[in-house]
Amino acid sequence: MAEVALTARTPLDGYAGTFGGVTLVEAAGLSLVSAAVPNGGGDAFAAALAEGFGASRPSTGESVPGDRLGARILGMQPDQMFILFEAPDPDRAAEAVSSALGPAAYVTDQSDSWAMLRIEGRGVRAALERICMLDLDDAAFPQGRVARTVMEHLAVIILRDGADSFLLMTPRSSARSFLHAVELSLANVSE
Amino acid sequence: MNGPFRLDGGLIDRARALAFRFDGRPLTGHPGDTLASALLANGVRLVGRSFKYHRPRGIFTAGSEEPNALVELRSGALREPNTRATVAELFDGLEASSQNHRGSLRRDLLAVNDLIAPFLSAGFYYKTFMWPKSFWERVYEPAIRASAGLGRLSGEADPDCYDKGFLHCDLLVIGAGPAGLAAALAAGRSGARVILADEDFVMGGRLNAETHEVNGRSGADWCAEAVGELASMDRVRLLLRTTVTGAWDHGIYGALERRTDHLAGSGGKPRQILWRIYSKRAVLAAGATERPIAFGGNDRPGIMLAGAVRAYANRFAVGAGRHVGLFTNNDDGWRTAADLARKGVPVAAVIDARDQEPVAEVPGARIVMGGRVTATRGRHGLRGVTLATGERLALDCLAVSGGWSPNVHLTCHHGGRPVWRDGIAAFVPGDGLPGGMSVAGAAGGSFTTAAALAEGHGAAVEALDGLGLSAAAGEPPGASDESVEVSPFWHVAESRGRAWLDLQNDVTVKDVVQAHSEGFRSVEHLKRYTTLGMATDQGKTANVAALAIMAGQTGNSIAETGTTMFRPPYTPVPVAAFAGRSRGREFRPTRLTPSHDWAEARGAVFVEAGLWLRAQWFPRPGETRWRQSVDREVQQTRGSVGICDVTTLGKIDIQGRDAGEFLNRIYANGFATLAVGKVRYGLMLREDGIAYDDGTTARLGENHFVMTTTTVNAVLVFRNMEFARQCLWPGLDVHLISVTEQWAQFAVAGPNSRALLRKVVDPEHDISNEAFPFMACGEVGVCGGTPARLFRISFSGELAYEIAVPARYGEALMEALMAAGGEFGAVAYGTEALGVMRIEKGHAAANELNGQTTARMLGMQRMVSKKKDCIGNILSERPEMNREGGLEMMGFRPVDRSEPLAAGAHFLAPGREAVTENDEGWMTSVAWSPELGHSIGLGFIRNGHARIGETVRAWDGVRGRDVAVEIVSAHFLDPDGERLRG
Repeated sequence: MAEVALTARTPLDGYAGTFGGVTLVEAAGLSLVSAAVPNGGGDAFAAALAEGFGASRPSTGESVPGDRLGARILGMQPDQMFILFEAPDPDRAAEAVSSALGPAAYVTDQSDSWAMLRIEGRGVRAALERICMLDLDDAAFPQGRVARTVMEHLAVIILRDGADSFLLMTPRSSARSFLHAVELSLANVSE
Repeated sequence: MNGPFRLDGGLIDRARALAFRFDGRPLTGHPGDTLASALLANGVRLVGRSFKYHRPRGIFTAGSEEPNALVELRSGALREPNTRATVAELFDGLEASSQNHRGSLRRDLLAVNDLIAPFLSAGFYYKTFMWPKSFWERVYEPAIRASAGLGRLSGEADPDCYDKGFLHCDLLVIGAGPAGLAAALAAGRSGARVILADEDFVMGGRLNAETHEVNGRSGADWCAEAVGELASMDRVRLLLRTTVTGAWDHGIYGALERRTDHLAGSGGKPRQILWRIYSKRAVLAAGATERPIAFGGNDRPGIMLAGAVRAYANRFAVGAGRHVGLFTNNDDGWRTAADLARKGVPVAAVIDARDQEPVAEVPGARIVMGGRVTATRGRHGLRGVTLATGERLALDCLAVSGGWSPNVHLTCHHGGRPVWRDGIAAFVPGDGLPGGMSVAGAAGGSFTTAAALAEGHGAAVEALDGLGLSAAAGEPPGASDESVEVSPFWHVAESRGRAWLDLQNDVTVKDVVQAHSEGFRSVEHLKRYTTLGMATDQGKTANVAALAIMAGQTGNSIAETGTTMFRPPYTPVPVAAFAGRSRGREFRPTRLTPSHDWAEARGAVFVEAGLWLRAQWFPRPGETRWRQSVDREVQQTRGSVGICDVTTLGKIDIQGRDAGEFLNRIYANGFATLAVGKVRYGLMLREDGIAYDDGTTARLGENHFVMTTTTVNAVLVFRNMEFARQCLWPGLDVHLISVTEQWAQFAVAGPNSRALLRKVVDPEHDISNEAFPFMACGEVGVCGGTPARLFRISFSGELAYEIAVPARYGEALMEALMAAGGEFGAVAYGTEALGVMRIEKGHAAANELNGQTTARMLGMQRMVSKKKDCIGNILSERPEMNREGGLEMMGFRPVDRSEPLAAGAHFLAPGREAVTENDEGWMTSVAWSPELGHSIGLGFIRNGHARIGETVRAWDGVRGRDVAVEIVSAHFLDPDGERLRG
């Protein structure tokens, strides 16, 4: 039996930075679990989502809030949702979703797969347009919109979670490269 | 202090003086000046030497089409050659130097080239410098390159930084002249998202260079007001100093924004930004470029385009001369005489090639209708011209206009060919425009201000209609239609001396005639043979006249002769801008394993594996050579226990009712029968039956598997499986998601691995050999409840496990494993030791799975199950892939055990010549085996298993080695697998 318990380390060690009016902060403490819809199980999945999280099923590219655990359901692809939430026990995040959805979904913990950065403030779009090829205009990318994209050769999931706020998720192993890319963009556009 | 040639008016700020240097000489100008206008204001006419003949050259244009006035800007590492003085915005402290001369600009020693010009005609380097052959690369080419050419690179790294970005709009307006401004106003007032880009630092295009009126006001004033209105609109983005350089697919345009080129320093911000603009519609309002007339000696400083002389007078308040002449074939050229006269610049003569009534009265000017300029004089600048009549005129500036050519370039970027329009004697956009693009104003051949305004407005309204946006655009601004009558006239046949077509490449009328006589008649051949239209200006001023000369030679019309293909970029784009921020370490992202910081703190030496950095070995004090570290890591692992971060292996979570069936079809061997809690090695084939990836897959539940792939193929395997799931077998209930990043995974290998893990895995989990045998897997807790997955698999051949925890615990687990292993002398080992141990064990890896390998070659033919189908199954049965006596993977050891082996060596029978016919196979992987005390290798050799014990040569022509090796089993160690089952 080992003498010490293992200590968790977030991908960006709790990074926080400010560039002019824009803040860039590692969003830690959120759990992310994928839920795949079994073939032919759409209705059961929708019912389970409503029952387990108080949320309707989002279509791909949309996200909807749930009414418990601060959950937001992200429509990633036709048969796959990501559930972003505050798990009571982050080590049992997948089990929490599994017990909420029952057999209506195949769940996989993704919490450690993605580093999360929240970028917020006026001028956030000016920085992101240096690395993000998506149109982040209000009409094209309203609040709640989510998309998979690529920034500086890195996979990114971008969620607009406020008027001037975006949650950026990027693979953990290259999170430092991604952080550098975002920091550089902010530095390049700051006065 | 004002320059001696400075006039009144213009768009310059006389309140501020800007000091600058040209070839070291201190001069001053004003905000609003270009380097060219400031030089002219100071009376500097000679600014460079020509490409081939080192002829004195001056400023020819007032825009980005400039062929002549190429200079070097700034100094040291910031030096930038081949910059057009006509677009370089003046700033305080600017240092500029002339280029392409040896000795001073005025006394260029290489001007001798001009004397031997007859030997340097079109294509001379295809005909001369042929002997001796070896001299071309070592003598002739360096000499020609040193004397011909352009400016000098600093040879140092560019200290500036660059960036890229992405913009989106409903309407992209390219060019902010009258047509572009009218389009942007119409769209902006309608609430559309508009991007208006212009290469200049003041918007307005020719309206700033002319004396036209718009809505009853001066064109320049109207422009300033229009730009002010546009700037106040939220949905309109103005991109000043931005050249749209190319039209790509689906309304995507490339644009270069010069952010700090006009400042003394970049202040650490990106100097230039390369934008990718996604537009729904685009209006090309790029204007037109004036073209010269070819006549004898038409390249002297002081001979300029008429519209440029006008631009210098009206916009920059500079008189290009004090005795100005005009040589024109069109009415527009006469505006130069009128505008100069209004500015008080004496116009000495107007020579119009057309035999007709004078277009206007020009006070004090000698008017020659039906006139021809045949020769010029003046060594470092124009002093006078001679007419066909023999009349000599004293002039210090000759403004030349041969008509205008629409800037159709971007209309051709999708293969569109311009068509000839006789009325304006110019090419206009033809069919095949990029989707969503329309053309307005002079770019489409409508040369009057009124037409430009109306067409720009109309194009915007039409574009908005097409997008379903309502145009609340009102009426277009009003202006009058100036006379732009032109009669084609390209070349003064009576010319004495060389008549230049392409000033930048020193191509003359005679060169085009010669190209024709030598059979280079296609315009594309003409371009390559004479170099006409190459380099920084791409022949913007030269092409049409040259085509006309070629047409005259062939007897075809210009329309039949056609133009060369215009390709991006419209104007030069620095390679640095294409690179953007992707320089050095930032060329691509870096992926780090969970134990990276831990390894770095222990001095690990890293190797790139794709984007990953992996620890190669962990040197200890006193180890001076890499093999000392690697040998120790191998020996300690085989002797006790070692730990290796294997997180980089691809991991794919597979769930669904049909997951087992799916894996049966993906892998060559069967998986549907794998028991829950077990792991199996699997081999994947490509559709053509060649082996392409391998790894282990564990069954965690009835409907739940987790697959590992090789590090390099992680993405490829996932992509192929998604394709299979979505497209090949959509009826199967299978769901995939990558968990490569989710789990930190460590190999724990060696006879003490179980004892070590016993200290880390929570005690309620029985990991004894009986409860957790070879190829078992399961979910466990470690260090007091942290969730983990344990797999009993071995790549080293030892008793071994892989243990995975959520990545956030990865570093802590590495520390815990090392701490728990202290009593066993546990070592961390890197990829080199990993490689040594897998070669000793005879496991195939990337060197063996090289895209040419069949299951049979790997000795795995029995794994290709015939009880089921799988991808690649059928094609793996092709006879050649199953031929008896084919290549088989074997082990090799040197007959003289002290000899090292080398991968890449080819196997030859003793005494056989090293030719392809005698090739029997090749060595794929080699290592020094600390266990065996000599080099070992894996490789493929024909009929290998039947030849165990035979000696062949490992012949390595690249390294010049030839080693006798013995064919042995690939399993150098523990061939019966007793260790890993123990």
